[in-house]
Amino acid sequence: MSQTAMSETYDFLFKFLVIGNAGTGKSCLLHQFIEKKFKDDSNHTIGVEFGSKIVNVGGKYVKLQIWDTAGQERFRSVTRSYYRGAAGALLVYDITSRETYNALTNWLTDARMLASQNIVIILCGNKKDLDAEREVTFLEASRFAQENELMFLETSALTGENVEEAFVQCARKILNKIESGELDPERMGSDTEAVLTNGI
Amino acid sequence: MQKIKSLMTRQGLRSPQESVHDLSPIESFRIPSKEELREVCEEPTDPQAQQEIINSIEEVYFSNDSFDIVKYELERLPPVLNLQELEEYRDKLKQQQAAVSKKVADLILEKQPAYVQELERITSLQTGLQLAAVICTNGRRHLNIAKEGFTQTSLGLLANQRKRQLLIGLLKSLRTIKTLQRTDVRLSEMLEEEDYPGAIQLCLECQKAASTFKHYSCISELNSKLQDTLEQIEEQLDVALSKICKNFDISHYTKVQQAYRLLGKTQTAMDQLHMHFTQAIHNTVFQVVLGYVELCAGNTDTKFQKLQYKDLCTHITSDSYIPCLADLCKALWEVMLSYYRTMQWHDNHDQDEAAAVSSVADGSNVIGTEENSFDRSYVKKKLEHGLSRIWQDVQLKVKTYLLGTDLSNFKYDDFIFVLDVTSRLMQVGEEFCGSKSEVLQESIRKQSVNYFKTYHRTRLEELRMFLENETWELCPVKSSFSILQLHEFKFMEQSRSPSVSPSKQPASAISTTVTLFEQYCNGGNPFEIQADSKDDETEDVLASNGYESDEQEKSAYQEYDSDSDVPEELKRDYVDEQTGDAPVKSVSRETLRSRKRSDYNLNKVNAPILTNTTLNVIRLAGKYMQMMNILKPIAFDVIHFMSQLFDYYLYAVYTFFGRNDMYESTGLSSSRLRTTLNRIQESLIDLEVSADPAGTLTAAEERKEKVPSPHLSHLVVLTSGNSLYGLAERVVATESLVFLAEQFEFLQPHLDAVMPAAKKPFLQQFYSQTVSTASELRKPVYWIVAAKAIDYEQMLLLMANVKWDVKEIMSQHNIYVDALLKEFEEFNRRLNEVSKRVRIPLPVSNILWEHCIRLANRTLVEGYANVKKCSNEGRALMQLDFQQFLMKLEKLTDIRPIPDKEFVETYIKAYYLAENDMESWIKEHREYSTKQLTNLVNVCLGSHINKKARQKLLAAIDDIDRPKR
Repeated sequence: MSQTAMSETYDFLFKFLVIGNAGTGKSCLLHQFIEKKFKDDSNHTIGVEFGSKIVNVGGKYVKLQIWDTAGQERFRSVTRSYYRGAAGALLVYDITSRETYNALTNWLTDARMLASQNIVIILCGNKKDLDAEREVTFLEASRFAQENELMFLETSALTGENVEEAFVQCARKILNKIESGELDPERMGSDTEAVLTNGI
Repeated sequence: MQKIKSLMTRQGLRSPQESVHDLSPIESFRIPSKEELREVCEEPTDPQAQQEIINSIEEVYFSNDSFDIVKYELERLPPVLNLQELEEYRDKLKQQQAAVSKKVADLILEKQPAYVQELERITSLQTGLQLAAVICTNGRRHLNIAKEGFTQTSLGLLANQRKRQLLIGLLKSLRTIKTLQRTDVRLSEMLEEEDYPGAIQLCLECQKAASTFKHYSCISELNSKLQDTLEQIEEQLDVALSKICKNFDISHYTKVQQAYRLLGKTQTAMDQLHMHFTQAIHNTVFQVVLGYVELCAGNTDTKFQKLQYKDLCTHITSDSYIPCLADLCKALWEVMLSYYRTMQWHDNHDQDEAAAVSSVADGSNVIGTEENSFDRSYVKKKLEHGLSRIWQDVQLKVKTYLLGTDLSNFKYDDFIFVLDVTSRLMQVGEEFCGSKSEVLQESIRKQSVNYFKTYHRTRLEELRMFLENETWELCPVKSSFSILQLHEFKFMEQSRSPSVSPSKQPASAISTTVTLFEQYCNGGNPFEIQADSKDDETEDVLASNGYESDEQEKSAYQEYDSDSDVPEELKRDYVDEQTGDAPVKSVSRETLRSRKRSDYNLNKVNAPILTNTTLNVIRLAGKYMQMMNILKPIAFDVIHFMSQLFDYYLYAVYTFFGRNDMYESTGLSSSRLRTTLNRIQESLIDLEVSADPAGTLTAAEERKEKVPSPHLSHLVVLTSGNSLYGLAERVVATESLVFLAEQFEFLQPHLDAVMPAAKKPFLQQFYSQTVSTASELRKPVYWIVAAKAIDYEQMLLLMANVKWDVKEIMSQHNIYVDALLKEFEEFNRRLNEVSKRVRIPLPVSNILWEHCIRLANRTLVEGYANVKKCSNEGRALMQLDFQQFLMKLEKLTDIRPIPDKEFVETYIKAYYLAENDMESWIKEHREYSTKQLTNLVNVCLGSHINKKARQKLLAAIDDIDRPKR
């Protein structure tokens, strides 16, 4: 796959997903990650949005190709088609909404089924800044993460806390898996169009 | 006197004899002794005789010279000496001598009394003189006393008095000089207080004063010092003048101007001022840029200070580019504002002065005013001339800065901000000197094209990614969806009519007719405000990836979370229908016409069919259009790029769903569509990459403009009969393309409005040759489905098994008809299945049915043309079969008339034609193949066509055939 711009050089290309219930702040997380700004007039995503960014993970340049999916049920059919070949995912819930936390299992099943069993998922308890309205405790969520072999961070798209970390940690885990041979970068996409390429 | 005196004294003491002796030494020498005198006296004293004797004395003896008588007489002696004669001669001489002596004695005696008398007188005179001498001596002595005692003192007094007066004068002068010297301090004080005119006045006065004292040697020093000071003042004044450039202050400038007037250097000042402005522009930009460069470099390395401005500009990092640009503009604004206010000052000042002059026009200082007015007009001209020069300088500096960094990797928001700042700067230029800012425009155009190329390239790559990840699922939107509800098209809401282009920034300024200079004359900075409101504005205009939607979007997409709201939607649609309300504009006309719904969309609202990718393209179009509004100069490039988005989408849909090696038939795609597809492939698609990924690097540069052909997502299955070979996806893809085309049509007037006249043909061509071909893509796409949906081969086999040379009229149709109908029923069922997933618009189902029926009918004709033998009854059976087929088919579909119905019927009935009619029929019906016609003639042989007639007819078929080849 050719690079998108002449100036872009990277060692790896990872396809990422951002999934989770509507209103958990997925688009805001992505926006914060890419623009370093909080998007306060954000509204529901239609279908799928896209963003990309090159991050430096342990000396390697990794281009993250991030698909930000709509959380609303009606878009499920549209969004599911973007799961395939994803190397990593941010599974987002809202710490002030138990409902979004309860839906995690479904999202997880979907991701593992539609993307890959090997998909590296980081659980993100977003809206950390609204601690006063918290409905899901850190402990509870971190237990859930442990049980399901997920990484876990509480994030705030508003303040930017842990946002970059979430993406970078996820990318680092994938890199580690590749280095340990657990993941084959060539096969990860299992598409002819390599989702993950050794770039130039 | 002394001699006289000594003479007098000697005479007094001596005897007259002595005195006589004294009187003539020679005489006395000659005077004979007393003895001689007695001798003479004893001689006869006869006067006569004596006289004779005296007379006889030789003349020689009377000569007074030192005549040696003895020698003379000796020489006169005769050679032979005769005593006698000698005696005689001696006597004679004695006589002579006696005579002379006697004579002399007589004479002396004669004078004796006179002598005595005279001597007495001399003596008395001598006495008198001696007395006089004494008196004189005394007088002198007294005079000396007087002199010492009186005259010298008073004269000294007078002289001192005079001296005193002189010294008082000197002291005064010295005091003045001292003051003069002290003024120096005062002068520097005044300079510190920036009272330049005062200082100069003072200095000039000092100089004037000093010139009156120029006879003092110290003054020349002072003078030169004053001259130095004056020069120093001028220097300071120059510095003060230069300060004007950055921060104009009326009182400050007034002072400076006054000062220059005092110096009589108004013109010089003006030249100097312009130099300072030029310098100020240079220094300002350099300082600003240097500041940022050093800030970013993180050290105070001096190496940057030595760089040329141009090189310095290339050291700006992309992070600091925007704040630096803003600061640069702010700083330059201040310089220009200063210039503007300088001009204003002169305008006001001129008016004041003109008024003053007219009121005091008594001609007393005509020369002065003339000079003044000359100065004024010079200044005015200079200032006016300076405007464009300064603006040019500013432009060049900003240009260098703008082009110094490659903006192509900037974020959209950031880039737009750069444009906003620059366009504001151009507005400033417009107001400043009516400049069209060609330099800025050109550089912004350059950067824009460059940026947009990169931006577009990334967007195309992104679009490819979208396309390759697209599973052609319907993106659920409301039936009332309109692109105007999208954030990206909000700007069109603001200015409904395309003629009023929504150029945001100048509108407010122009409408209020307050120029920026007036607005910010007394402070503030137009660039400041922009920087402050940056967030609002850019966020608003440039949702970079459409992360957000707005209220309208919300209303367009929400209420969809469950299926329960569908009936509601339906109800609403019915209401629309009944009241005849014009439905929402973006719903396509075609779908409107199809209110009489086809079977397949009864359960679905007439929501537009579009995909996630379609939305993406539409949003990009919106962003591109915003770009055009801001960047009219590159509108063409932007539209060109925008057309590529459409091209690529069209191409993708075609390659995914319309290209099928097996069934590809040139007859299916219109030549227009094929031309368009070829054009896209040539101009936009990078075929090599898809074939040879390793070659990516080799010719990357030349393929920069191109994108690889997209691949269909592997999730999309086009081979399953159950899903009618991906009909749902095909419908979504094709109809979303049609929808996209409609949106482009909708945008056409807007695009046309911003398109430069010279480039309008491009737009027209794009619309007539590309956008309008979108719906033509339906044919090849759905044809593939139609061709696969029904097993025509099977039907041919079944038909081949039928006996057509039956001898009696049959009342039962053949089973192949049932089989065919069964296929159609199955097709219908599957179509219904698909339509549960995706609304199938009437034109689509019509096309599908049409294709299927046409193919079926053609297969029927082909099947009938395969018949070896056929009787009249057999022909009737064919008719029966076809009637049965039509009857059942018409129950399955709404499509009327049944396409190609005539094609079958005419073929069957041609069998009954007589020889002559047959011939003309053959000539008229070229739609049948040679094989079909030949077969027709052959099966007629033996019933009503003889062999001869057959030959003739076959020849006719050949005739028809030939020109075809």
